[in-house]
Amino acid sequence: MRAVTRRTVALTVLAGALVCAAVGVGISLAPMAASRDAAATGTSDTAAPADDVVMTSFPGLVAATGEPELASMTALRPAAGSVAEASGPFDDRFEFDALSFDGATVSGAVRITSDVSDLLELEVVAGFYDVDGTLLGTDRFVHHLGDEVHDGPPVESEAFTIAVPAPLAGRVGAVAVGVPVLVNE
Amino acid sequence: MRHLPLPRRMSSVIASTAVLALVAGAAAVALTGTAASADSSGSSRAKNVIYLLGDGMGRTHVTAARERFVGLDGRLAMETLPAQGFVSTYAVEKLSGQPGAADFHPNAVTDSASAATAWSSGVKTYNAALGIDAKGTVAPTLMELAKKAGYRTGNVSTAEITDATPAGQMSHALARGCQGPVYSAAACQDLAITGTALPTSDVRVTPIAEQIARNGTADVILGGGLGRFDAADETALTAQGYQVLGSITSQKVATKTDLAAANGAKVFGLFNTGNLTVEKSKLDNPTSVQAQEPTLPEMTTKAIALLTAKYKKEKGEKASKGFYLQIEGALIDKRSHANDAAQTLGEMKAFDDAVAVARDFAKKDGNTLVIVTADHECAGFNIIEKGTFTNAQAATPPANADSGNRANSSTPVRPSNAIDPSRSTGIMNGAGSADAKNFAPATFRIPSDPATVTDGSPEAGLWLTYLSGNHTGADVPIYATGPGSDQLQGSVDNTDLFDIMGRALRITG
Ligand SMILES: [Zn+2]
Repeated sequence: MRAVTRRTVALTVLAGALVCAAVGVGISLAPMAASRDAAATGTSDTAAPADDVVMTSFPGLVAATGEPELASMTALRPAAGSVAEASGPFDDRFEFDALSFDGATVSGAVRITSDVSDLLELEVVAGFYDVDGTLLGTDRFVHHLGDEVHDGPPVESEAFTIAVPAPLAGRVGAVAVGVPVLVNE
Repeated sequence: MRHLPLPRRMSSVIASTAVLALVAGAAAVALTGTAASADSSGSSRAKNVIYLLGDGMGRTHVTAARERFVGLDGRLAMETLPAQGFVSTYAVEKLSGQPGAADFHPNAVTDSASAATAWSSGVKTYNAALGIDAKGTVAPTLMELAKKAGYRTGNVSTAEITDATPAGQMSHALARGCQGPVYSAAACQDLAITGTALPTSDVRVTPIAEQIARNGTADVILGGGLGRFDAADETALTAQGYQVLGSITSQKVATKTDLAAANGAKVFGLFNTGNLTVEKSKLDNPTSVQAQEPTLPEMTTKAIALLTAKYKKEKGEKASKGFYLQIEGALIDKRSHANDAAQTLGEMKAFDDAVAVARDFAKKDGNTLVIVTADHECAGFNIIEKGTFTNAQAATPPANADSGNRANSSTPVRPSNAIDPSRSTGIMNGAGSADAKNFAPATFRIPSDPATVTDGSPEAGLWLTYLSGNHTGADVPIYATGPGSDQLQGSVDNTDLFDIMGRALRITG
């Protein structure tokens, strides 16, 4: 399966917020029967456009900033040299296999244990800790099934590697990995 | 408010042209009713519409389930509905125009997202898109229109409720993978459509779970996918008056006991953190936690009961006009992808039992349109003659060239039988070839078989094979009864279902 698999280049350092590059692109809405009708008959004070039917904003919902992290990572204190598993929303859908950390790279595989006809989305976040178990920063592995045609049997195990980000080189003593994004069906 | 001429028996719903307030704190809106286009005949109008689909259910899925469960000379519940026809299901490429436009670029094989958008919003879109056309423009859904027009609404699935089919009625997303609980750029954005990343406040990149928990589109939500929702979603649901079964915050799944006790005007019940469990597994493991999940017919029965119950109205709320209910048998597709005929058949039976519930309600009610169809076929399911094998497994495949009668032979476009790497990577079953379980044909006993014949034996009467592990572009069957169902006699396109259901409920032009 030739899904696009990439690592994000942005390193999330805990002290600084990752700014989302959000360029404003206005929502456009399809004209629909209601608005056409209202306009034609002129019986409504204001023609009811489609956005009166579709809720396009959600008061009280805080829009996401940056890429997903796992809150469980901040509470972990992985022992020096170890790879811990950080809990996330999909822990009952996969198992980690062959986790290892060689000082420069954490690697392993996510084996899907729930339904698999396609692995649409998978993100593995790695938290990098110093020898005292203090979280220094994170980086991630991203699998996204894009426009590719299906070209093989479903993949049940997705291997990943995540390197220690350059600014943290030489300071990392332990790692935790977890899965904040998983869509398989 | 305007008053429109309505057929006599619909006079009780003149209030359809009322001003309605949106739930959940969005700006109040005035929706002008869109009833009664000049050419509507009274007979195409219904008080209620129940739309049932078997995900991945092709014509052969129906035939195989019939032969397995009621015999070759029997009829499934869906097959007893009087109007019958076929539905074309094709999708379009990204940025395509609609059929007839100069920039129309069709794609023969749809996924569940594009198909759901076709009947929910009446537009062709690209695979993975929900509630938007192929250029990214938001298109209102039937369930949103029905809700705003004063109908009660329900959405039931055996998949995660954020999965493409249920999500198609109650979300708008560039990518079906943006399910939640959290946003991620890879899962939610699609630069091929928008050029630059949309702000994360844009509905089209807002995780589907967050949309469903806040837009109030469906009054009754039953299915799987509790893991997609978080504590903030539970707060948002409760604030809108939903009775939440189980607990989202503590990720405690709801049970069929919880469902039986549910009595709210708005009910949110998810019975598994992921997809619901296949019926066969629950039957085989009756003491498991999963066996406490309700079946699809049980959820259908309860959804209808909740949607037809009388509730104390909120101040200013109009009398309910009827309901619009979507029911999905999702695991037919998921188990067809896996070429698992036994579970596929079990899911077909559960789906047909749900159809029987809807049919029986409609018979009693007398003013309900019931439509049964599929979003696409899955896996090229087929019934082969006893004792035969598929071509891919045959020692000698049929020859395309007829050496005896040259008139039958065309000139091969490829010079040799070497694998064309752009179309084939070789024998896909290769790694599993040592395991007999991986290979069709699967055999099942049928009611007319002697009592000694067992499933899996060569003597069994039903021999089943699969062509692939993915969707096919075959037309799917459609069955219907009730007001307006005569429009489904024959062949229609999946986008026509938007118009037919919309006219039945008088919510589209
Ligand atoms: Zn499918």
